[in-house]
Amino acid sequence: MDIQKKPLPRRNLLRGALGAAVLLPLGGTLASCAGGGSSNTSSGAKGTVTSTNPFGMADKSTVDAVIFDGGYGVDYTKFAANIVAKAHSGSSVKVSPATQLAQSLQPRFVGGNPPDVIDDSGAGNIGISTILAQLEDLTDVIDAKNYEGQTIRDTLYPGVLAPGTFDNKLAAVNYVLTVYGLWYSASLFETNGWTVPKTWNDMLALGAEAKGKGKYLFCWGKEAASYYLTLAISSAIKEGGNDVRLALDNLKAGCWSLTPVQDVLNGMKKVIDAGYIKPGGSGTQFTAAQAQWSNAEQAILYPSGSWIENEMKTQTKAGFTMTGAPEPTVSASSTFPYTSLHSAAAEAYIVPSQGKNVAGGKEFLRAMLSHDAAANFAKSILSSTIVKGTVPADGFGSTALVSQTKLLSDAGSNVYTWGFDAYYGMNTDMLVLWNTFLAGKSDVATLTSGMQGLSDKIRNDSSIKKITVT
Amino acid sequence: MTAIAPPGGGKPAAARRFSRRDLTFDKISLMVVFLGVPVACYIIFVVSPFLQAFYYSLTDWSGFTPERHFTGLSNYRKLFTDDIFLHAMRNSITLVIVLPIVTIVLALILASLVTVGGLSHGPVRGLRNSSFYRVVSFFPYVIPAIIIGIMWSQIYDPSNGILNGALTKLGFHRFESYPWLGDESTAMIATMFVIVWGLVGFYMVLFVAAIKGVPSELYDSARIDGAGRFRTAVNVTIPLIRDNIQTAYIYMGILALDAFVYMDVLNPGGGPNNSTLVMSQRLFTTAFTKGQFGYACAMGVVLAVITRLFSAVVFLVNRLTGGTNDVAE
Repeated sequence: MDIQKKPLPRRNLLRGALGAAVLLPLGGTLASCAGGGSSNTSSGAKGTVTSTNPFGMADKSTVDAVIFDGGYGVDYTKFAANIVAKAHSGSSVKVSPATQLAQSLQPRFVGGNPPDVIDDSGAGNIGISTILAQLEDLTDVIDAKNYEGQTIRDTLYPGVLAPGTFDNKLAAVNYVLTVYGLWYSASLFETNGWTVPKTWNDMLALGAEAKGKGKYLFCWGKEAASYYLTLAISSAIKEGGNDVRLALDNLKAGCWSLTPVQDVLNGMKKVIDAGYIKPGGSGTQFTAAQAQWSNAEQAILYPSGSWIENEMKTQTKAGFTMTGAPEPTVSASSTFPYTSLHSAAAEAYIVPSQGKNVAGGKEFLRAMLSHDAAANFAKSILSSTIVKGTVPADGFGSTALVSQTKLLSDAGSNVYTWGFDAYYGMNTDMLVLWNTFLAGKSDVATLTSGMQGLSDKIRNDSSIKKITVT
Repeated sequence: MTAIAPPGGGKPAAARRFSRRDLTFDKISLMVVFLGVPVACYIIFVVSPFLQAFYYSLTDWSGFTPERHFTGLSNYRKLFTDDIFLHAMRNSITLVIVLPIVTIVLALILASLVTVGGLSHGPVRGLRNSSFYRVVSFFPYVIPAIIIGIMWSQIYDPSNGILNGALTKLGFHRFESYPWLGDESTAMIATMFVIVWGLVGFYMVLFVAAIKGVPSELYDSARIDGAGRFRTAVNVTIPLIRDNIQTAYIYMGILALDAFVYMDVLNPGGGPNNSTLVMSQRLFTTAFTKGQFGYACAMGVVLAVITRLFSAVVFLVNRLTGGTNDVAE
């Protein structure tokens, strides 16, 4: 044998090993390309379409539901799962709780075996923009009849489908109704004879009064500085109408320099410069900051969504009577009335097209949108779903829930929302600018150019798919 | 390493080494188990993900689709014009320069104190009760990083934190509601302090073990020659445990380049004006929140290159100053 004559060519061996190391993973990648790139059509066995089974869920099938386990828990989805199981004997819904959706589901999306229905929410959610093409259009769910025989579309609050609609495709049904506003303690305001400010000038006046009582107007936490961004955008939209909303949402050049936006930012800056915002927010954890408002009453107003009551449940002073009020306008002659409302829906339920039981995923959503499931949610979570008429007049004893219903009825059809910050995942970058601004360390011009810079960066990046909002 | 075979004698020697008779079952099984398996594991779990990440960094992969498009070096081009990433890179480099030096100097001082810094007569020993200090200073290392982060974010809390509470009690009223982690001038320093606090105990124990390995006669003779404690530390301890110091330096540097846990607990958003944002945080956001895995992989590759450069520099410096190139791992 040759081997006895020649020493083992070590270098060649090493070279070979390296070559193999290079080729192996590449081979794996190619294989995964070939394996994953399967057809995009709805898969899974189909059953017969009937009035009680509008999507044709297969008999005795299982629905794989991955639900974000956050503030609302997952029990309410198990309630809906039971409704499905009862209506379709032999079939069942398997509810799996998850917290880091993007991390845990990424391999399943790449592998082509995503769950049948997902509650894509929480800080670790999957950005809809990245999976938009792989999601079912849920318009047929909304146009189907619910378990009580009514068309689902007619049972919903206005504007709630907007946050889930991308390029005319209803990619997500956001289940929980969220109303944004200024939250305050009605009892505290009553004792002091205060009223909720309707413009930024009123805001300054109230700030002075609060200061007289040794209180601040606002407080903020570092992770939630963006709540003030939400407040600013909402206030600017009320002032300037849809022009402002569309310019911001479509990342238009110069959108942050529009007059209504600048007016709001200048109004805010006056409040900040007057020292009406509790200092130290940029170093305070946000729930600790919220407790400064709801428990210690060091600040009297807090801009937030209606989840705030549930979030601060254990840290709210007794007799606080938490109440929501509309966000302020700039002037009395704003384009949208003062009572118009930033209302959206959260907890995005999506159905991936490549799931094994797409019809089952939709059937689960139909059960979730039934009156029973929605009423159960309202009762157990003390919050409203997008389904109307599930909250009684006493709001189960919750003043916040009562005020939420009132805000909605006052607003009528003047309901708006926007989504560019969440859609393009801009929150982290925006937080930085807003923490600095609220701390009084930057002026309006710096904030404006910073926000415009973030918008421009995304608009000019051809690798990011844009959504046109109308 | 490059031993030159004596002329003429090389071939028979080589032939003998690889003769068939020697390839017994024992030898082959030994090779398979102790060489083949680790190499396979290394290639599958270390090398291949590495190369895969490099490949992804050349694509526009979103992370959630089976298909991806090859885009060449455009991710890298984007990276070096991305002001936020460059800021994060600067922060990481600051960390890698400052953290190892501070931690190791502190750990060396503490280690010297508890081993050779005691009474200057009698046998060489540490301070009184040194074993107590040794245990106490190791405490923080026992606590998981995430807990350390949560604990310190409470301590630093502007309104209810113990630090501002103590400072205002002492009459420093300008620290009322002072946001240690929320002010650009202090956020990085406050964060570094937490990391040093958490790790100094570990490196101290490492150095204590190394110093215990130095024959005590060396310390005795240094003392007889009239060397003080500082002189002893610089001229006896450091040269004798320099391999340990080098190892510690590299470990600490790699930790500083990552630093994800501490940074993300103390300032999840990257701190005021991104003053505590590090590359690993940016990578995470880009991948999972923004859904740009290809771009995030490019960040990962840059991070890996910087880590390599860092260890190369440490080796080089050690080599140039006369050390060996072994790392006692």
